[in-house]
Amino acid sequence: MPDAEIPPVGRRGAGRAARRAARLAPVAASVPFITRRIPLYAVLNDEGLALIEHNADTVLEEVGIDFKGDAEALALWREAGAGIDGERVHIPRGLCRSIIAAHAPAHYTQHARNPARSVVIGDDHTVFAPAYGPPFVHDLDHGRRYGTIEDFRNFVRLAYLSPWLHHSGGTVCEPVDLPVNKRHLDMVYSHMRYSDKPFMGSVTAPERAADTVAMAEILFGADWIDPATGRPRTAVTSLINANSPLVWDATMLGALKTYARANQANLITPFILAGAMAPVTAVGACTVTLAEAMAGIAFTQLVSPGAPVILGSFCSSISMKSGAPTFGTPEPSLVLFVMAALARRLGVPFRSGGALCAAKIPDAQAAYESAMTMLPACLAGTNFILHTAGWLEGGLAMGYEKFVMDADQAGMLQTLLNGVDLSPGGQAMDAIREVGPGRHFLGCAHTQAHFATAFHTSSLANNNSFEQWEAEGRQDMAQRANAQWKRMLRDYEPPPIDPATDDALLDFIARRKAAFPDSNV
Amino acid sequence: MADELDLNSLNDEELVGQMHDDLYDGLKDEIEQAVHILLGRGWQPYDVLTQALVEGMRVVGEDFRDGILFVPEVLLAANAMKAGMAILRPLLAETGAPKIGKMVIGTVKGDIHDIGKNLVAMMMEGAGFEVINIGINNAVENFLAAIAEHQPDIIGMSALLTTTMPYMKVVIDTLKEKGMRNDFIVLVGGAPLNEAFANAIGADAYCRDAAVAVETAKNLMARRQGSVQERARA
Repeated sequence: MPDAEIPPVGRRGAGRAARRAARLAPVAASVPFITRRIPLYAVLNDEGLALIEHNADTVLEEVGIDFKGDAEALALWREAGAGIDGERVHIPRGLCRSIIAAHAPAHYTQHARNPARSVVIGDDHTVFAPAYGPPFVHDLDHGRRYGTIEDFRNFVRLAYLSPWLHHSGGTVCEPVDLPVNKRHLDMVYSHMRYSDKPFMGSVTAPERAADTVAMAEILFGADWIDPATGRPRTAVTSLINANSPLVWDATMLGALKTYARANQANLITPFILAGAMAPVTAVGACTVTLAEAMAGIAFTQLVSPGAPVILGSFCSSISMKSGAPTFGTPEPSLVLFVMAALARRLGVPFRSGGALCAAKIPDAQAAYESAMTMLPACLAGTNFILHTAGWLEGGLAMGYEKFVMDADQAGMLQTLLNGVDLSPGGQAMDAIREVGPGRHFLGCAHTQAHFATAFHTSSLANNNSFEQWEAEGRQDMAQRANAQWKRMLRDYEPPPIDPATDDALLDFIARRKAAFPDSNV
Repeated sequence: MADELDLNSLNDEELVGQMHDDLYDGLKDEIEQAVHILLGRGWQPYDVLTQALVEGMRVVGEDFRDGILFVPEVLLAANAMKAGMAILRPLLAETGAPKIGKMVIGTVKGDIHDIGKNLVAMMMEGAGFEVINIGINNAVENFLAAIAEHQPDIIGMSALLTTTMPYMKVVIDTLKEKGMRNDFIVLVGGAPLNEAFANAIGADAYCRDAAVAVETAKNLMARRQGSVQERARA
């Protein structure tokens, strides 16, 4: 045995070297998705929820909803019993609910290439995913600029390195340096290569959805087909937005059909800026949201019965002075609580929330507004919380500092959702007996056994004395976050991937890119 | 807890290294045993103190400051240090070795907050100081009595309330009246204090936390008498 492998003189604990090594080591890349152990918070009783359901059915039957540019969709609806008037579909009362009840799963597993990172979406579970869609990125050093594929990769890396984010997300920023008709290949590959967490697919055209599915099939190889069902495993969850109010368009329907037929999950999300795309009231916004969502979800089941589907709700208020969307306001939080309850009554997983804000920089406005949405989202029992990390200025910018600040908060919320430990260890009667009146608990056996994990510790909050904080350069939260994301990216190592799989993915991308000219339309 | 390691089988250098690890791990029995072994090998008590215990606790203090160690772990380490000191203290007195220092510490009159002050006492003991902790709600008479009985080098006062912190000045003014003020280092601490307050009442230093209290005490003691720490460093 070479000298270096002889253990040092020692026993018991191994002193400073061992403890430093353990405490300074990078934390696990991920913790399991959340299983909520606190009660749901409700703002309406059954009577109120039933009223909204009645009104949504009235909208679908009487006003109708458009399925635009998709003859197949109209045919499917006609066959299901809806009335068709041009592209407007009038859906009889109760039809959507009966289709959904018959076929849509209450939960599903989204498989990750690393099985330890797979997530269950639905039931009592909550999954945190990064923000989706910003064309700009922002950091303290360079300010606001268009996102590039390197920014995209960076946010995939940061999500991979953030233990409290269970999901890699989708369009973590828009890589505007790549051609519109091919950038999805690099985006999907980035999720596959630089992370091993589950991810979202391209929805900007049916063929780009098909590319996503084809790449997932290469990534999963022999594991692609589930022998128990004979269908593909669900490896992609993709965001299908309604063109609110009351319109489903051909682009989204095309991607929806592609994913549903491949047994991949669709996240059906009415996008409501209340006052613009729905009435200004909470009940009005919920009614439009539920009508659009039920039509979209039922449609997935007409296309592919049993395909995984989520009811999404993105609802923001607007400034009635300027028309600008506003975030962190109380009315959308009320909508969120109501929609979560309506999704449960419909029997499908629910998506909403996020660290939403209108702030341009990671300041107090950003933090307040984000908390005002994240907390309701968690208390409402939301199953999939997109936009958990990074969101700035109404989703126009992805912030590097904001990302790590939000990820830190996600850890706090996870602990909150884990609830209260009533076990003998949680009761801690031994500690109370040991210490008694007038002494402190810092040294008792129970504290010695539990101190390291007793409290969720923020990686960014500064709890030191004023003098120490001052001596360390008076850094505010954003400055500390700036140092943290840089350190994370510097220390990042990609998760291992089978070289043959990687080659096959790169080969597929090369062939697809060569098959047609670049285009930005 | 202990697996089989015979401390007697280690040479001096290995044993001191092991003591540093055992202090870090808060192993009181092992520290006591090792102190006896070194003394049995003819080591001077002063060398055991500086090379084994103080040096070991210096590392603990560093890692506490850097957020690697938790308070309960430092408490265990300080308890192990204290056990070693209990063996050495009478021997140090006999040999006339330089003193690390003695402190009387208490929360001032009207204030019943105990725990922060106790953490300071613990950390001071961990650094080798002898600490007389006179508890909470101490009128100036209590401080004077403790001073008379223990002849400390340092007086530490604590307060958590803005309504009680002015009493620190009462204690210091009384010392001045009695012509005793310059006989002691006066350290003050507590959440509502700052350096300006400490200066205004005539204290020697404001200590924002327990680790700073130890550092400040060491530095001021070194200035007073060329202390153990200074000599160990040299």
